Amino acid sequence: MKGFKLFFAIAILALMLAPVGAQDVTTVTMWFSEGSTLDCWGPIMMEFNDIDPAVQLEIVPQANAWDVTRTAVAGGGGPDVVRTPGPSFVYEMAQAGLILPMDAFAESMGWGDFFFDWALDLGLVDGQLYSLSDELETLVMYYNVDVFDANGWTPPDTIDELNALAAEVEAAGLTVFSHGNASWRPTNEHFVGEYMTQLAGPHNVYKALSGEIPWTDESMVYAMEELDAHMQAGWYGGGVDLYFTNDGVYRRTSLAEGSAAMNIEGSWAIRGTVDYFGESGQTWDWVPVPSHDGTDYFTIGMGNTSSINANSAHPEEAAKFLTWYFSPATQGKMLTSCLKGPAPVAIGEDVMGELDPRIARVYAELADASANDRYGYTTWTFWPPKSDVYIYEEVERVWTGEISVMDYLEGLNELFAEELAAGDIPPIPTR
Amino acid sequence: MAVLTQRKPTRLLEKFSDETWRRKFLRNVLIPWIFICPLLIVHIYVVAIPAVQGVYMSMTDWTGVGMNVNFVGLDNYRELFFEDDTFAKALSNNIIWMIFFLTIPFIMALFCATQLAQVKRGGMLYRSILFIPYVLASVVTTTIWKNLMNPQRGIGAAIDNMLGLEDVFGVAYLGRPESALMSIAFIDNWHFWGFLMILFLAAMQSIPPVLYDAAKIDGANRWQEFRHVTLPGIRPTLLFMYMMVAIWSFLAFDYIFLLTQGGPGGASEVIATQLYKNAFFRFQAGYGAAQGVVISIFAGFIILIFVTLRRRGWDI
Repeated sequence: MKGFKLFFAIAILALMLAPVGAQDVTTVTMWFSEGSTLDCWGPIMMEFNDIDPAVQLEIVPQANAWDVTRTAVAGGGGPDVVRTPGPSFVYEMAQAGLILPMDAFAESMGWGDFFFDWALDLGLVDGQLYSLSDELETLVMYYNVDVFDANGWTPPDTIDELNALAAEVEAAGLTVFSHGNASWRPTNEHFVGEYMTQLAGPHNVYKALSGEIPWTDESMVYAMEELDAHMQAGWYGGGVDLYFTNDGVYRRTSLAEGSAAMNIEGSWAIRGTVDYFGESGQTWDWVPVPSHDGTDYFTIGMGNTSSINANSAHPEEAAKFLTWYFSPATQGKMLTSCLKGPAPVAIGEDVMGELDPRIARVYAELADASANDRYGYTTWTFWPPKSDVYIYEEVERVWTGEISVMDYLEGLNELFAEELAAGDIPPIPTR
Repeated sequence: MAVLTQRKPTRLLEKFSDETWRRKFLRNVLIPWIFICPLLIVHIYVVAIPAVQGVYMSMTDWTGVGMNVNFVGLDNYRELFFEDDTFAKALSNNIIWMIFFLTIPFIMALFCATQLAQVKRGGMLYRSILFIPYVLASVVTTTIWKNLMNPQRGIGAAIDNMLGLEDVFGVAYLGRPESALMSIAFIDNWHFWGFLMILFLAAMQSIPPVLYDAAKIDGANRWQEFRHVTLPGIRPTLLFMYMMVAIWSFLAFDYIFLLTQGGPGGASEVIATQLYKNAFFRFQAGYGAAQGVVISIFAGFIILIFVTLRRRGWDI
C-alpha cells in the first residue's frame, strides 16, 4: 500500500511537471496526403526538427489532405500550414479570411532573396501575399529515343513538322501520343493550355487572360481546331473513344515499350517515365512542345501552394518552417532525392549537377524561358476556377462532336468574362 | 389580476393530481420521450439543422469556403431550370438510370428468386454466390470492370483475339458517349441485383405453401402461380423496393464518378456528379445546394406517390 502511494505521488508529480516541459516546444502541424509522395518527402521534411528543438514539425497523414484541410480550416481548426492544390483555391480562402497575409514574414525572413520575382506575385490576393507556390511545373514532349532512332525520325520543332512526323508514326503502325484521361479527367486541360500557348502564342494568351482580347480570337480558334483535328485523327491514345478509357498505366507502358512514339506531359511525369523506361530498358528524352514558329515556349504551372492558417496559434513558427522548406537547399534535396518538382526558387548549379542531365535540362530551360519572355500559362494555375472546370469538361463535347470549337470558345469567353468582372482571376505576372 | 390569481386550476393540473393518470402519462409519454431524446437530439443536430441550412444555402451565392454568403433568392433555381443546359442533360440521364433500374434488376431478381425458391439442396450456395457482388466496395467493383471492359486487355479484346476479329467486341464501352451511361448502369446492376433477389426470395418464402397447393389443385400453370400467388404475396416488398430504387436513382454517384466522372462530354453526367463538381471544383456550393434540394424534392415526390397509393388501399 505504501509502495502504491509512492507510485501514485510520483505519477501525479510527473503529470504536473509534464506540461511545464512541453511548453518549451512549439509544434507546427501540416496535413499531407498518404502515399508514395509523403513516403519520400516526409523524412526530408522532418529534418526541420533537427534545427531548433523548440520548434517541431508534425506531419499528419490524411487519406485526402485537401478535402479534410478545407473542411477543418473553414470550421476554425486545421493545421498551421495549409497546403492547397493551386492559386484559385488560395484566392477563395484569402477572401474568406481563413489564411493569413504573410507580407511581414516575407520581409523579415527574406523570402524575396531566394524566390524568383514573379513567383511571389503568384501568391498575391488584393495586393497581399497569402501563399507560396510549390512544385514548379511545365509540359514537355517526351519521346522514345529507340523508336525514333530505329525509324530515322527527329523530334519536331514546329507544328508543321509534328504533322508530318505524325503521318510517318501512324504509317509505322504506332500511336502518336500515348495518352488517355481515364485516370485523371482534367488531363484534357493540359492540351488546351499547351496548344493555346504553343499555337496562339503566350502573348495572346496573356491578352486573353487580361481581358484585352476574347477567347474567340482567331489565334485561339486556330489552336483549338488543331487540337481537335489531332484528337479526331486518333493521335491521342489511338482514337477519341480510346483516349477516354486509356489510363495512367497505358500512358507510361505504351511509350516505354515503344508502341507509342511520344507523349506531351508535365514535368511531374519524369519520375514515372524514369521508372517505366528503367523496366523496359529503352531510352527516353524530351523536347519542348512544338510551337507554331519553332520558338521554345514553356508553360508555367504550380502544383501546390502553402499558406498559414488564420487560426494558427503559432504563425511565426509556421513561417519559420516555410522559410526552411522553401529554401534552395531543402528544395534541391527534395529534387535530387524524390524528383520533386522544385518550388520557384534559385536552386544551385551544384544541386542540378547531381541530377540526370535530361531532368536538370527541364528546369534549366524553364528558368531560361521565364527569364526571356518565352513562358506560357497552364490552365490550373492562371485560369479562374469555373473557367478551368469548363475548359476540361466541355472540351470533351468538342472531341465527341457535340459542339463546335467556336461554341466551346464562346462558352469559355462568356464564363471567363463573368469571373473577370467579379475579380476572380488568379494573379498573372505582368509581361 | 385578482381574477387571474383566483381562477380555477387548469384541466392539466387537475389531471396531474390524479395518481392513475400521472402513472399512465409517465409510462406512455414521458419515459418513451426520455428514451428517444438522445436520438432525437442527434437527429436534429446532424440531419434537421443541416437540412434547413442546406435549403437556406441554396438561396445564396456561397462558394463553399468561409462564410461570405449573400442571399440571392431563387436565382440558383432559375439558373438551374431555365439557363443551365447541362442540368437538363443530367436530369434526363437520371431518368434513364431510373427506368433501367426499375426494370432490368427487378426482372432478373424476380426470375432468379422464383427459380431459387424451388431449390431444395445447395440453395444457400447459389444465394451466396449471387449476393457476393453486393458486399464488394464500389471502388473494387469499378476497378474490376474497368479492366474487364478495357478495349485493349479486357474480355471484348480477348473474344476478338479468339475469333480473329478486330474491334468488334473489344471497343471502348466507357469511352463512347452512346454507351457510357448504360455500361455504368450494367456494372452497377451487376453489383445490385443480387441484393434485390435476396429480398424477393425472403418475401417469397413467407408465402404460405398452401396457396401454391390450392393453385395447383385449380390447375394453375407456373406462370399463373407466379402471377396470381407469388406476385401478390411479395407485393409489399416489391412496391417498397420500387420506391427505394426510384429514390436511389436520383442519388446515383459513386459508380459514375469512379468510372467516367460524368464523361465523355457529359454523356454519363447525373445530378449528383454535377452537384459535387459545382460545390467542390467550381466554388458554387450555393448552386450545388440548390441541386441537392431539387434531388430531395424529387425523392419527396416519389414518396408522396407511394403514400397516396397506400391511402387508396394499396398494400405497400
